Amino acid sequence: MPQTKKIFLTAEGLEVLQRELDNLVRITRPRVTERVQRAREFGDISENSEFDSAKEELGLVEGRISELERILKNYQLIVKRPKAEGFVVIGSTVIVEVDGEIDEFTIVGSPEADPSKKKISNESPVGQALLGAKAGEAIEVTTPIVRARYKIKEIK
Amino acid sequence: MNSTVKSNQLIKEFKHDLSGLSVNERQVLEKLIKAARLIAPIYQKQQDPKYPGANFYPHDVEKTEIENAAKKDPSLLDPYTIVKRKNGKLISVPYHLEYRQYLLPIAKQLLEAAKITINREFGKRLELQADALLDGTYDVADIYWLSMRPYKIDIVIGPIERYDDRLFFTKCAYQTWVGVMDESETQEAVQLKETIYASHQRIFAPFHKIDFLDKIQVRVDNTLIFSGLITRFGFTSTNLPNDVSLMEKYGSEITVFKQSFDEKFKTLHHPIFHRVFEKNFQISYPVDILKRGSLRNTVLHEISHPLMRYRDAESRLKELFPIFDEISASVYGVKACGALLLKNAISQKELEAIIVMFICKSFSWWLDYLKQPSTIHYTKGYAIALNYFLENGSLKETDGISWPNFTKLFVSFEELATILERIISVGSYKEAQQFVDRYGSLDVFQRFQSRLIGVKI
Repeated sequence: MPQTKKIFLTAEGLEVLQRELDNLVRITRPRVTERVQRAREFGDISENSEFDSAKEELGLVEGRISELERILKNYQLIVKRPKAEGFVVIGSTVIVEVDGEIDEFTIVGSPEADPSKKKISNESPVGQALLGAKAGEAIEVTTPIVRARYKIKEIK
Repeated sequence: MNSTVKSNQLIKEFKHDLSGLSVNERQVLEKLIKAARLIAPIYQKQQDPKYPGANFYPHDVEKTEIENAAKKDPSLLDPYTIVKRKNGKLISVPYHLEYRQYLLPIAKQLLEAAKITINREFGKRLELQADALLDGTYDVADIYWLSMRPYKIDIVIGPIERYDDRLFFTKCAYQTWVGVMDESETQEAVQLKETIYASHQRIFAPFHKIDFLDKIQVRVDNTLIFSGLITRFGFTSTNLPNDVSLMEKYGSEITVFKQSFDEKFKTLHHPIFHRVFEKNFQISYPVDILKRGSLRNTVLHEISHPLMRYRDAESRLKELFPIFDEISASVYGVKACGALLLKNAISQKELEAIIVMFICKSFSWWLDYLKQPSTIHYTKGYAIALNYFLENGSLKETDGISWPNFTKLFVSFEELATILERIISVGSYKEAQQFVDRYGSLDVFQRFQSRLIGVKI
């Protein structure tokens, strides 16, 4: 059997995803299922755009439910470690200097990642490169197209 | 009436399904669209591509004559006056007096819309905008617009863009658009903006750099109508106001015009892609990924504009300023994608598509320029980028543009962004001129002319 990859979540992230799943199962799924049934009653489903659109919505809802169930079966909770550990771990907030600019972000598991809110996935090139690095170290982050040098100023 | 027939060429209405809006919203839109249509005849009076000063100045006037006269009467170079000759002397007339008979029915439509809208904040905005058209208090209307909460309906109307004044890049031409927010596209644009701005804290920011990133709003609109200058230019996005001091205090609003963008992608950017890139290269880029890349390119350009604002740039670079202003935003926008890729906010393929569409857009601006010379600053700017990439070997021409070396090309974007920002932040006029002389040749486009036959503007 293929080994299932662990997905890292903070306690807050876990709560958000559990709430989302609960909402989808209890409220959204019954609502959309009813929408599909109502559309089916409109008649010939081969030319029924409301039926197509409702089916599409149901597909999206079911897809998200499956994804959330998979995440919630395989997650590993990120335990807040004392800052004294001195190196970057999942859950660390880091302040870095890159290309003359200061950037600050927290490294989280991929389901919680949102770069616009300064939450970077541990699976992103930056996340992967910084894990395990110490304050004061300079790390080269590379992809086939882009490379950048991140200097770690502080780990919180 | 003859002017109405002609002015129809200066109005473009886009189709969009408004059934999701309330009856009240649709009624308001009807009034706003009526007001928008009435802007075109005013713009028609202002424009005249035959003259570098359009109809803003007497056609026989020399630039130096205006400069000398403006020392005694600065209103001659006010953005909202037209200059006339009276008894041999140059005088200025404010727009709101010169065009009053045309502005009255526009203000009437705005006030009627203000009366019926159930969004009181938007109603107040429309009232202030109507006042501004009739008494010239444009700043008051702009400040209110920038301070209000985003509303699904938006209208921008009045004298705004300066591109038709090729003498001084000062006089504003009338234009308007009306749009309805596309919420999901707006959400994505907001995320892109916040990701880029979140990591843009300079360690050493020059004192004359303007920082107002926390006051910038971005929206993607389903555009319903263009009227006036914007119709001629067919913009896909904009960032207003143009007044740097207003921006600094009150921020700015970036608007992407979705219908105008869709049309340009379909008729220009995508056909250009098939003509300038090698056949084997084209296979790897399906239309959807290119369209997303092109839209992101547009959003990135506007998001990057505020990152390149320096207080004295316009006065230092004079008529070269718009060239550097536009291309530095486009180049910086691509450079900023480096951080997006490293943070998994975009994929490598998506970055490649953004770069590819940057190249296609450069040819698009050239085709635009052939039709209307007043877009020269965009075309020159993109010529600078293409010549720079070709000179350092990060782009190669064989049978069309061959497979770009994206690694080398991205480094070139970073280098060029640094050079352009240096010129725009501290460079002298002479340095800027030398850079344009070295890299701004339009021959780069002409080499592709035969390939672009059949691409319609």
